[in-house]
Amino acid sequence: MRRLALALVWTAALATCAANAQDGTLPKGLMALDGGPAPALKLYDMDGESFDLTDARGHWVFVHFWASWCQPCRREMPTIQRMATRMETTSLEVVLVNTAETDDTVFGFLGIVAPELPTLMDRDGLVTERWQPRGLPSTFLVDPSGRLRFLALGGREWDSADYLEFLRKLVAPPP
Amino acid sequence: MQLLLGILLTLHMSIVVAGNGPDEVYVENAIFRLRLIPRTPQQMAAFYEARGFPQGAIDRLKRACFVTALLRNKGTEVLWLALDDWRFDSDDGPIARLDRAYWGALWRQLDIPQANRSTFRWTLLPEVRDLQPDEHVGGNIVLPRHEGRFTVRARFITGEQRRGKESVATLKDLRCAEDEVNP
Repeated sequence: MRRLALALVWTAALATCAANAQDGTLPKGLMALDGGPAPALKLYDMDGESFDLTDARGHWVFVHFWASWCQPCRREMPTIQRMATRMETTSLEVVLVNTAETDDTVFGFLGIVAPELPTLMDRDGLVTERWQPRGLPSTFLVDPSGRLRFLALGGREWDSADYLEFLRKLVAPPP
Repeated sequence: MQLLLGILLTLHMSIVVAGNGPDEVYVENAIFRLRLIPRTPQQMAAFYEARGFPQGAIDRLKRACFVTALLRNKGTEVLWLALDDWRFDSDDGPIARLDRAYWGALWRQLDIPQANRSTFRWTLLPEVRDLQPDEHVGGNIVLPRHEGRFTVRARFITGEQRRGKESVATLKDLRCAEDEVNP
């Protein structure tokens, strides 16, 4: 019973965070999702470090799917790097997923456009298929209970004031 | 009657012009902007070769007619892209698209790596998409390669439930782009 009450309080707190972030209108290009569970995401980066989305429960995760051949990705990636730097002191976890490319390609691309950003490697593209983004690039915001809350349509300027404010509100602890 | 008037008005307001490239065309109205850019076999081979596609796949890709489509929803309602609602016609009759099922079967037959299959799928124009206001989408449409000009009749419907206005754009005089022949 006590566990249920705690779960309800936690869910209410999450809902409050999301609602706070949605005060007024969402930043242009961001749409609210229905809160369905995020698909599995367990991948390795180029250094062999593993990441499992289920281990990220308890804080918001920015999940970004990309490929070097997509033109909007080239424009968007530096803005993600700057946003990640600005959000470093918050609990937001920024996770990049490269779709079906090789280490050489990814290394060559990120080395130029966003050298500070590590990326997970979806080597066969099957994880991306499971998430069904609307295209590349695509960004999902996953809430602390592992549910899909927001989707960014196409490439966005993540370091713009609108987005930074939105993300800060999202990760702010409930009052 | 209102719907008919809406269609006629939309058609009337559409502007179809030649695009920047020699074979590129685009249409623009209050609801959407659509650009169609035919790609040469060399362009497509270079793109997929750079992504590690095996030679057998490249050979098959070079035999097809690729047209890159760039679509933006300029309206205030959801705009539905549904490729099954598009028609491709040449003087010889309708042209059937080489759709995802066609390529999926071919890649299985050629046993090309899963990563290549995934990349190829992401470079195709989605079959269906509910484009939000100001959202854009891009990707390739693939047809059998053929001589002569063809016409694309692209039909769109607006509204979250696909019950809004219908808009049809007719883009004429497209052709499969050919490689440049060096003298």
